[in-house]
Amino acid sequence: MEELVSLTAVTRTVRLPDDAELHILKGIDLAVHAGDHTAIIGRSGGGKSTLLNLIGLLDLPSTGEIRFLGEPVNHLSNNARARLRGESVGFVFQQFNLLPGRSALDNVITPLLYAKGSGFWRRRELAMEMLDRVGLSARADVLPNMLSGGEQQRVAIARALVRKPRLILADEPTGALDVETGQTVMALLDTVATESGSALITITHDSNVAALARACYRLEAGVLTAVDVPLRPGTPGAETSASDEAVGASAGAGA
Amino acid sequence: MTGLVSTIVEAWQELRINKTRILLALIGVALSVAALTTVVGMGNLVREGYKASSERNGGRSATLNLGVYGPTMPDPEKLSQAYRGIQERYGIKYSTNVSQAQHGFQFPNGVQDVQLHVVDPGYGVIHRIEVDHGSWFADSDEQRFAPALVVSETFYNAAGRPNLTTDPVVTLAGAQKTTAVIIGVVPDQYPYPGMPPSAYMLTGAAEKAGVTAGAYGMSSQFEIWVQDAQAESLQAAITADLQQQFPGMEAQANRGDYASHGDPFAMVQLAVGGIAGLVMLLGAVGMLNISMVTVRYRVREIGIRRSFGATSQRVFVGVMMESVVATAVAGVVGVMLAVAVVKNPWIESKIAPGLTEFPPFPLEAAMLGLGAAILVGALAGAIPALVAVRVKVIDAIRF
Repeated sequence: MEELVSLTAVTRTVRLPDDAELHILKGIDLAVHAGDHTAIIGRSGGGKSTLLNLIGLLDLPSTGEIRFLGEPVNHLSNNARARLRGESVGFVFQQFNLLPGRSALDNVITPLLYAKGSGFWRRRELAMEMLDRVGLSARADVLPNMLSGGEQQRVAIARALVRKPRLILADEPTGALDVETGQTVMALLDTVATESGSALITITHDSNVAALARACYRLEAGVLTAVDVPLRPGTPGAETSASDEAVGASAGAGA
Repeated sequence: MTGLVSTIVEAWQELRINKTRILLALIGVALSVAALTTVVGMGNLVREGYKASSERNGGRSATLNLGVYGPTMPDPEKLSQAYRGIQERYGIKYSTNVSQAQHGFQFPNGVQDVQLHVVDPGYGVIHRIEVDHGSWFADSDEQRFAPALVVSETFYNAAGRPNLTTDPVVTLAGAQKTTAVIIGVVPDQYPYPGMPPSAYMLTGAAEKAGVTAGAYGMSSQFEIWVQDAQAESLQAAITADLQQQFPGMEAQANRGDYASHGDPFAMVQLAVGGIAGLVMLLGAVGMLNISMVTVRYRVREIGIRRSFGATSQRVFVGVMMESVVATAVAGVVGVMLAVAVVKNPWIESKIAPGLTEFPPFPLEAAMLGLGAAILVGALAGAIPALVAVRVKVIDAIRF
């Protein structure tokens, strides 16, 4: 299958105010292919967001190489990365991050404002189609503050997918939702991503979410290790709680 | 093409969403622009008014008054020959003799003394005389059998406001009983009640009519109109020239126009302009203040947009355009306010009482106001736009 993103020996180091160096990521190797559903689990402060920034072309590594669709991105300008990001990457955030004061439809239109050609000119139609796919076409004109948490995240998913990105990055997509709504939203994200043939990388510390992935990695103290995908809740042998311990136990078992 | 349209669409959407906040910021800018434009427009009006009345008195910039003084009066024939020589040698296009006289005129209700300005046709150009009816003297008027008169409004009223197309005549009182033709009417120089009638008559015609110039003990003057840049050098050359022709007497060539000591309004304009500039600065700071606060407030939103592919130029242009478009609109409103104030007839008549016809609202004042508004918008937009561009996407999203 076509390789979408690959990270080879990637490190990320920041200089602290006292001139000391903090190594956030250490020698990360990761390859994501078209259609993959990958979960990255780990505790807070483990470098998950930094890794997400690198995969999403929002940041550059200190050393190592990142390739996007086979092309190295280390030397691309900020604007070239922004364009590549707009065309190929869709983000789903923990706090939904819908633009306040704009209707659900306007929010879904936003990424299309940065598209070229028919993507821009047909923006309204494309956005409506996408809202329809997440089951919110009837709520198109409603402002985000009038939508429930689940609905807001569905709008965010529609927005992330409206430009048909090759890669969807979801940062704790269910973090602000109750367990049940979270599962519904995750199932939707999984289905829509599969239908679109997009790769999905989910960063989470919720084993229920990680259980939906086909591959799972654990990021701890800047080191990324492949682990077994946690079992879905309800299947024999699976943990019932959605805690870090469950993830840890499962990952530990696989390591 | 798509890039440009989409940038405009996005900026318009932003304007629409933030209209209340932008409107509030713009009231300040619109008022500042109105203040700036009003001050410049009024300054211009005052200057025009002053210039018009000064030009009627002392001539346009630069007018040189020539004269030769001594223990005895110089020979008039020799003097006028000397003046003619100067005119030819220095290529002077417009010149005039100016002397004052007083003469009785027969009006329907009796004889009245009229103040006569005895001049040449060039006087009309040098003093920018504007006639209300009829016309100013032409060179050929000197040859008329009946002398031509350009009379003041008071004179015209006393003569019963005859129709000028019928060549109305008035009679000069005295032994000769000369008949003169009124060819033009000018406004009274100082329109106050009881103003004595006055009239202009050509030098040649006055001689023929037996009008004695040099009333009030004032000798005749000779005025020439020269280019501003040449005034100083001509002044020196002509003085020396005359001095040589009239040894033992004192020759003079002085500037009599309003601009002879530099622009009398330069200081006032500078001071008023400075104040207007400060007002504008206050408006700009207010605008900048609001823009800065909103960018801080919008950091997260900018981060979200950037995660969806907005380039830094796009973010910069978006924030900037919002500011520039908005202040341009405020500028137009401000200029309209200023025009309404400055072109108000009551204000016009108070500010420039010397003017009979008010100049149109100065275009440069309107352009200055609009330009200042757009500049303020660009400056007030540039700083927050730079802040917006420097936002780190992930930090911004978690803001």
